[in-house]
Amino acid sequence: MKSVFNLRFLLALAVAIIAGYALYASLYWPFRTALFPRVIGVPLLALSLVEMLLCLVSAEKAREGHAVDFEMTMDVDPLVARKRTLAIFSWTLGFMALILLFGFTLAVPLFVFLYLKLAGKEGWVLSLSMTALSWLTMEGLFNRLLHLPFPEGWLFSLWT
Amino acid sequence: MLDAFVQGLLVVLQWQTFLVMLLGIVLGFWVGLLPGLGGSTTLALMLPFIYKMTPVEAFAFLLGMHSVVSTTGDITSVLFGVPGEGTTAATILDGHAMAKKGEAGRALGAALMSSLVGALVGAFALALAIPVVRPLVLTFGAPELFMLAVVGIAFISSLSGQGGRALLRGFLAGLLGLLIALVGQDPQAGVQRFTFSQLYLWGGLDLIPVLVGLFAVPEIVDLAVRGTSIAGELPQGNLGKGAWEGVKDTFRHFWLTIRCSLIGTFIGIIPGLGGGVAQWIAYGHAVQAARDSKEREGFGKGDVRGVLGPGAANNSKEGGALIPTIAFGVPGSSAMAILLGAFFLQGLAPGPDMLDKHLTLTFSMVWTMVIANIITVATSFFFLNQLAKLTLVRGAVLIPFILFLAFIGSYTSNNHLGDLIVFLFFGFLGYFMIRCNWPRAPLVLGFVLGKIAENNFYISTIRYGSSWLLRPVVLILVLLTLIVIVYPAIRLGKRRSAPSEKTA
Repeated sequence: MKSVFNLRFLLALAVAIIAGYALYASLYWPFRTALFPRVIGVPLLALSLVEMLLCLVSAEKAREGHAVDFEMTMDVDPLVARKRTLAIFSWTLGFMALILLFGFTLAVPLFVFLYLKLAGKEGWVLSLSMTALSWLTMEGLFNRLLHLPFPEGWLFSLWT
Repeated sequence: MLDAFVQGLLVVLQWQTFLVMLLGIVLGFWVGLLPGLGGSTTLALMLPFIYKMTPVEAFAFLLGMHSVVSTTGDITSVLFGVPGEGTTAATILDGHAMAKKGEAGRALGAALMSSLVGALVGAFALALAIPVVRPLVLTFGAPELFMLAVVGIAFISSLSGQGGRALLRGFLAGLLGLLIALVGQDPQAGVQRFTFSQLYLWGGLDLIPVLVGLFAVPEIVDLAVRGTSIAGELPQGNLGKGAWEGVKDTFRHFWLTIRCSLIGTFIGIIPGLGGGVAQWIAYGHAVQAARDSKEREGFGKGDVRGVLGPGAANNSKEGGALIPTIAFGVPGSSAMAILLGAFFLQGLAPGPDMLDKHLTLTFSMVWTMVIANIITVATSFFFLNQLAKLTLVRGAVLIPFILFLAFIGSYTSNNHLGDLIVFLFFGFLGYFMIRCNWPRAPLVLGFVLGKIAENNFYISTIRYGSSWLLRPVVLILVLLTLIVIVYPAIRLGKRRSAPSEKTA
């Protein structure tokens, strides 16, 4: 509960900083360019400060603050949940790194294989067939059929 | 007129035309399923193939493809929580939540049936409106477009949730969305705003990576945290029966579906509002239709009305968008602008000729939209059980594919690596918003409407000074904005006072 409270405060703080920056940047712009950022930035800053204050001084009522949105699963042990959250974010960032290093065409099957084997602990047959399927989709659909311009991986551009 | 109407159907049913339409439908079906690969991109890619076709065949092919993209886009949104199309993101909020409750079949049934109703309403509007739409479109200048954007922004109050704190966060999210919409070159003076000297940001942020990040990443994290399939350990029952339940839901909430279809058609008719807007306004309207605060709390957590509203609107808007395209050559969306290119490639000039000399062709477009949607929905129902069973696949097997689709979907919007960074940024933002009970819908609404509001505000003031504030349609829209803001509060107040009167 405490960490969620901190997170809420931090999110409001981040938004306040963004609003503050928007207002500061708008000081150097002509009136028309700056009008909308100011009209939006002022209430955004004010409301985010209110939210920060509320996070600090008042406990939230159980029925209050319910967003028209889905809620994260709460029936998993918080420690396990945190570990799994960190893991999936690391995999997501890792996928991004693979794309940058190897390019989409290689990164996609590589990521699918690594995820299935290491995170999913799946068997060889499933992992290899899914990897082949992802490569086929990448190569057949996106490369050959649609001719999407995928950039070369950084590693390969160093090579050439 | 009636003769041309019947002729329009007959030419679509000719075997060559019908075959190319089927080909278009198959393409549109897959394009809709794949996130990021939008209907507009595919229309552009397919333009070179219509050179050798007759006009009827060309439009049967292109419209057959385009009019089913949103329908199948809903399938990806419901099953994986990744928007199949930019125009189907709102379906995720309740559609994917239903899938997680083991009601994927019902959500898909509702999405498909409401899409069909929406498409039929859109096509019907197109058929009826062509001769009379001119005054309506001409009434909507920049001031009215600005006010329409304000009406849309006012829906933030409906999309925020219950209680003052939720409203505060809803407005925070909405304002943040409006601010994000300002990234890029200022349309007035060409000054760079929040671009950090990055060429990529000059044109502003693209909707697709923003939506895919905001919606897909939190769902992927939740799936990983739960360590189960999308539907978890819940008993599944008969998925096909669930789909039938979804169909019945469409008729249980038939007027809501029709109202949302009309919202979509209307937004489609007005050039410049874009497809992303209709679904969110329809979703906001569906939330407003909740009878009490308890019902309203169910939105975002798997209320079928949250699927019906956007499902109907994002299909009906296509028929609406065709109206100004055909009647005046004014495209209602980017897809319609590409379609306009098809008119010229076929040696046709949109305008009065389309309502006179080429009326049969015009009606063939109406029929194409109707037939394409009926075929797609009917075909989808055949595969619904198999599709819904994807929610039973282990999360560990699905996650790499959902991430693959999310990354590729984001990338294909501009074919730029910057899209991936935007996707990741908004993915993190979406996750933190969910953790902190901030609603994402107002942010998207603000983002979609921000630029429209700013552009039209300046055009209005430059063109009319302050006198635009007194234009009749503007005044009506001001009134509508007030109703949108005040109505939920009045309704809530009435419901609260009703039990107390009873007890007295």
